[in-house]
Amino acid sequence: MESGEDATGRHRLHLRPDTLRDAAPATLHLLPCEVLASRPAPVERFFTPAIRQRADGLEVSFRGRTLRGEEVVVPPGLAGYVMEADEKAEVLTGLGRKHKSRVEDDGEGQTRPEPLERGFDRCIGATASFDRFHLWGLETIPGPDAKVRGALTWPRLAAAVHAPVPED
Amino acid sequence: MKRGLTFVKLVNPCSGEGAMYLFDIYLQKLFEIKVFKEKCHSWFINQSVQSDGHLHFATPMDPLFLVLHYLIKADKEGKFQPLDQVVVDDIFPNCILLLKLPELERLLHHVTEEKEINSRKYYKYNKEKTLKWLEKKVMHTSAALKTNNINVGARVQSAYFSGDQVSSDKEEDYIRYAHGLISDYIPKELSDDLSKYLKLPAPS
Repeated sequence: MESGEDATGRHRLHLRPDTLRDAAPATLHLLPCEVLASRPAPVERFFTPAIRQRADGLEVSFRGRTLRGEEVVVPPGLAGYVMEADEKAEVLTGLGRKHKSRVEDDGEGQTRPEPLERGFDRCIGATASFDRFHLWGLETIPGPDAKVRGALTWPRLAAAVHAPVPED
Repeated sequence: MKRGLTFVKLVNPCSGEGAMYLFDIYLQKLFEIKVFKEKCHSWFINQSVQSDGHLHFATPMDPLFLVLHYLIKADKEGKFQPLDQVVVDDIFPNCILLLKLPELERLLHHVTEEKEINSRKYYKYNKEKTLKWLEKKVMHTSAALKTNNINVGARVQSAYFSGDQVSSDKEEDYIRYAHGLISDYIPKELSDDLSKYLKLPAPS
């Protein structure tokens, strides 16, 4: 989704619709700290077994600090997906001409050199789905003013802002 | 066009910069992508860690806001033009996707005058109609804020809301807050005009 490489706004990122159907449910935790690297991690070995149910929510420790949290449900009408852009993006660029959809798009014959940007279309797919996640705070459960809770109300407001206005 | 969902970069009608949108080519719908970002957050996703704690939202977008951006630009020429000559963009050429949205023609009368010559339609931006349309949007949004019990007072600030801070939830506060939400989709100049049109006092 980051569009840093897409400086001109010329390119399209195609979402493979079949991946939305097939995405298996995932377990998600939103941590109150930044882990600097994105990589595989033995969450099930260290984190999950340490989660304890307390009277007023969940408790766990991470790097020796106490985290308190609770389950947050994805708002009604929405679905949660984890998406990854296809890793072969660079390769795809080189293979641009052979890629099926691009050949279909190119209605002007094969002799004409293909514009460079055609080769930069990429694909993205859902790798997992979720309908809830665990929200964690340091020492205390994130309160009602937490930014992420505000963000979760956005879809309802967006629906109002973008609804067609009634005719006179 | 084939079935599919496609992310494209189009203009942000408020800032004029690039922003991500999602087109559902099958349903012919436009969605806006917003990202929740907050410092010091990361995800655990199954057996992996994702360094940034971003949360993306795809929510339905009124395409008229985007077309309005082009109509206002084209209005400098001061003449009626067919839509495919209005929605033109060297920087964001994917804007042609907007012309494929079936509801667009029905919506255009909210913000334009139109003429039909030889069964081809020509449009021209109309500011008075646009302000009326925006006023309806503000009122509808203000009502939604109330029914959703959104606290428009000073204490609550969510990820996206740039509304002015006020001390209590009065009618005027809801309208001002809704005006702030709508202003994220229109140029600053039009937002100021809308504020006057709604007779909102200048924020102190």
